[in-house]
Amino acid sequence: MGSTDKPADLETTKEVPPPPKGAAYGSTPPPPKHDHFFVVDVVLRFLVFAASLASVLVIVISKQKVHLGPALSVAKFNHSPAFIYFVAALSVAGLYAILTTLLSLSVIWKPILSTKLLLHFVFLDVLALGLVASATGTAGAVAYIGYKGNDHTHWLKVCSTFDKFCKHVVGALATSLFASVLLVLLVWLSTFTLHRKIPK
Amino acid sequence: MESQGQYIGSNSGMDQKEGKIANQRKAGTCESILRILAFMLTLTAAVVLGVSKQTEIVSMKILPTSPPIDVPATTKWHYLSAFVYFLVANATACAYAAFSLVLSLGNRGTKSGLGLVIIFLDLLMVALLFSGNGAATAIGLMGYQGNSHVQWNKVCNVFGRFCNQVAAAIVLSLLGSLVFMYLVVLAALGLHRRSK
Repeated sequence: MGSTDKPADLETTKEVPPPPKGAAYGSTPPPPKHDHFFVVDVVLRFLVFAASLASVLVIVISKQKVHLGPALSVAKFNHSPAFIYFVAALSVAGLYAILTTLLSLSVIWKPILSTKLLLHFVFLDVLALGLVASATGTAGAVAYIGYKGNDHTHWLKVCSTFDKFCKHVVGALATSLFASVLLVLLVWLSTFTLHRKIPK
Repeated sequence: MESQGQYIGSNSGMDQKEGKIANQRKAGTCESILRILAFMLTLTAAVVLGVSKQTEIVSMKILPTSPPIDVPATTKWHYLSAFVYFLVANATACAYAAFSLVLSLGNRGTKSGLGLVIIFLDLLMVALLFSGNGAATAIGLMGYQGNSHVQWNKVCNVFGRFCNQVAAAIVLSLLGSLVFMYLVVLAALGLHRRSK
């Protein structure tokens, strides 16, 4: 019946009625590689949270009092606006990391909308990366000047007197650098998983 | 009836495919324009900082009792290491923007893994540029306000034009890093659309 010069699969579809529009072709079970992705994702996000928290704590408790002759001088993190920005930015990043860790955990249990979540993770993770990277650069620049001083502007080095304070700052910077590397890995992991989901 | 239904089905399939190709081509053009914009912004930021130099006559007292002597004082961008780092970051991002423009033009339409490599490098550039911006902003703010707790004097009251040039370079570099960020987001959107 019907003038068909199309290939033979048309003959088989004649027997089976075409499925109605909009019907789901059976729910696809979540493939194991995406569970694997979300487990790695949760671990990395928790590490970002831990690194941000550690960074903030290390720099907030760094306070050193030194007697310079008769005067007592104190070095605290809130003497410099750069360090205040560092603490604020890393606190926001830590809060973001713990929230998305919980979100990722909930997706492992109920794997729905995982592709859309990957896309949103990419957006937000890139923003968090920008924030953490700028905070690291800001605090790093001020710490470098505190360490080396600057002859041209007559800014004296401070780390020779406040050595414990400087050690705390360097530790905080190292952990925030680690957090930004982890964020780069997270974004790349999300885009890699999106790439793997492209139908060949 | 059945053949008519089949005909309609195959026609919409062809339209969908053409629509997808047109979308991909539009996204590829948008990406190229963004890369050119990033190239120009980072180049301008690097150049504006690189030519910033100011000489002023400052009156200083050598001895407390002698009258003040007028001494010329110069400030250049490479006196401060944070600005050197800022310039290097912007130069790297500029070179990378040109290189990746060529790569992405050659990669259009093909489904190789080069797209992923480009996304990864774009991410690295975002991080590098943002950290350079943060460093230059911190030192610029330090020069603008000084810091009374560590006796670091402000510099911008004397060298006003230099400070303005640095501020302009920072704003340009910030726009460039936002463009790089938008490139990453656009690439992820493209991947998401293709994986549906």
